[in-house]
Amino acid sequence: MHRLLAMWKKEWLALARDVHGLAVLFVMPAAFIVIMSLALSDAFKADTGHQTDFAVLAADGSNLAERLARRLEGDGFRAAPAPDDEAAARAGVRQGKPGLVLLVPRAFERGLREPPDRTNPSQALTLLADPALPPAQLAVFQHRVLGMVLGLRVSAAARISGIADDTGAFDLKRAATLSIEVVGNPRAGRPSSVQQNVPAWLIFGMFFVVMPISSLFIVERREGTLARLASQQVPFSLLLLGKVVPFFVVNLGQAALMLLAGRTLVPWLGGEQLALPARWDLLAAVAASTSLAAIGWGLLVAVCARTMEQATVIGGVGNILAAAMGGIMVPRFVMPDTMQAWVDLSPMAWALDGFHAVILRQGGVLDILAPCLKLLLLAAVLFAATLWAHHRRRI
Amino acid sequence: MGMLNIEGLSFHYPGSTETVLDGVTLVIPDDGIFGLLGPNGAGKTTLISILAGQLRGATGRIAVSGEPLESVRRRQPHCLGLVPQECAFYPMLTCLENLHFFGGVQGLRGVRLRQRVESVVGFTRIEGVLKRRAGQLSGGLKRRLNLAIGLLTEPEMLLLDEPTVGVDPQSRAFLLDSIRSLAGKGRIILYTSHYMEEVQAICDSAAIIDRGRVLVSGRLAEVLLDGSGSLTLRLRAQLPDALAADWRARYALREDGVARYHLRVSSAAAAAQVIEAARAADCEPVAISYGQRDLEQLFMQLTNRSLRD
Repeated sequence: MHRLLAMWKKEWLALARDVHGLAVLFVMPAAFIVIMSLALSDAFKADTGHQTDFAVLAADGSNLAERLARRLEGDGFRAAPAPDDEAAARAGVRQGKPGLVLLVPRAFERGLREPPDRTNPSQALTLLADPALPPAQLAVFQHRVLGMVLGLRVSAAARISGIADDTGAFDLKRAATLSIEVVGNPRAGRPSSVQQNVPAWLIFGMFFVVMPISSLFIVERREGTLARLASQQVPFSLLLLGKVVPFFVVNLGQAALMLLAGRTLVPWLGGEQLALPARWDLLAAVAASTSLAAIGWGLLVAVCARTMEQATVIGGVGNILAAAMGGIMVPRFVMPDTMQAWVDLSPMAWALDGFHAVILRQGGVLDILAPCLKLLLLAAVLFAATLWAHHRRRI
Repeated sequence: MGMLNIEGLSFHYPGSTETVLDGVTLVIPDDGIFGLLGPNGAGKTTLISILAGQLRGATGRIAVSGEPLESVRRRQPHCLGLVPQECAFYPMLTCLENLHFFGGVQGLRGVRLRQRVESVVGFTRIEGVLKRRAGQLSGGLKRRLNLAIGLLTEPEMLLLDEPTVGVDPQSRAFLLDSIRSLAGKGRIILYTSHYMEEVQAICDSAAIIDRGRVLVSGRLAEVLLDGSGSLTLRLRAQLPDALAADWRARYALREDGVARYHLRVSSAAAAAQVIEAARAADCEPVAISYGQRDLEQLFMQLTNRSLRD
């Protein structure tokens, strides 16, 4: 035990004096959490606060255009004054002002009373769209237009059959009372960007223990201290254990500090506050499993890399690729189906599943079991590979 | 501790056909310092690494007083101290932190650890730099810390792999005196160096190895004994041409530098005659060597003077 204590003390002292290593472990993920939480805060809000301007240009006059615009506006879409003509509308959209213009053909209202017919020019609406507009927003507006037209058609049919006498009787917005309840989320409404980003960038930071672990290991090999320790009959397994515990504590410290950053720093800078999970024990279990996998990865890179450059390329670039693939940099739900099939190959995705189960979904033991087991199995494989690689090197 | 016997030790790195050690047999006594000389790539560091347990896969036998070294080390895990060629410590830690760490991982603790640290600090005279980071020390101080770490457990077998490389003359003299003072008391000390004068100055026995083979081994006085009748003279002035021509014919005279000559004579009496003749020719000898070679001569002779990487 005293030998192990000496190892731990050495590791702490070396890490405490490695300014770059500390920056990678603590400053980098905290910076990512703050920047990404603030940058993506609107993307995770139901009411983003961001308004997309649109206009309606109706061939039958401004009265119809105004009526249609009133039906379309709301939920992030703001009605702008109608352009003078189609040429002005196209010129405006080209500059993004407004981002959308709906061109309504002549005799549009009369066409609503007739059955849908693709060849009928009075039923042919055109939506001019700014190419810089996010495709998802364009799709939302497209469905808003179709919903509005459906409402108008139903209203027209109801009036003909005497069911209703108002042309606006059937409005999609008033079709039903629909409220959204996000299941398991500790706060009302949808999860905020800080809740999405804290676990993601925390995992990214935890896996970066590969850098300080490998840099110290390479110094030990280069300076001959590893050989000296071998001559002093210090078992390699003891040496590994001497590294696992300090970096495990570092990873847990990272978790605590990143949660604190989400709780205090992000709201202080204008973002939303992180809602804390109900089950801290489950959070600790996910963090511990992630940490062991990250440390195992760090040790394997340390043993296999001969130079700092190799460690940086294998460890650093490997982490970035795993983060890109594992839904850390780009959320999984944004990816196409073919790409989503690859996400589960990244251990960072397993860790993210575990953290989301605790932080977003308020899940129980069964919800974190699969990700934790996968991470622990990976850690065991990586530790075994480290011992094997070291044995091969030592002859 | 008893003598260290190395018998028929052979080694090659995996995947390589080149034999690094080829049947090395050495007897290293425990009553002095044993010098191991050899050009670069001769196998000195490999031999030290095998003895220290850093390299595995060697064939042959290594024993201390008849007991296999591995068994001795199992019984006494810290009986061997290595002072490697590299300054093998943590540059980001202070000298004291390094000493405490290396002492701690070798099982020293509490009062015993403090005593040993104090002892090696005093022995290597690094008291003034204990709080300085090891990476910031001068070359000489780094070597002294390297030695201090190797002595922490008072090892009965000390392996010193070129411990004075890259230090100034004062530090080298200090290190050599310190190492010399470690000899005796039943301690095996194996010392490798490139510097012939170091080995000649502090070693009692020596071996020269080249290409993994032992070329010569034994007590230094015996190894350097020269029965070939070689006489080396350094004179105050150059020999007159006539005398030089005469000696060239009679004693196979060879000039080696200014007023430095090698001759081959048949006996000590003939050597005395040559010296007298030189004096008579107003070429007073300032240095005479007969019946004994210096280590450098022997080394160059045995390794065929070839320059190696």
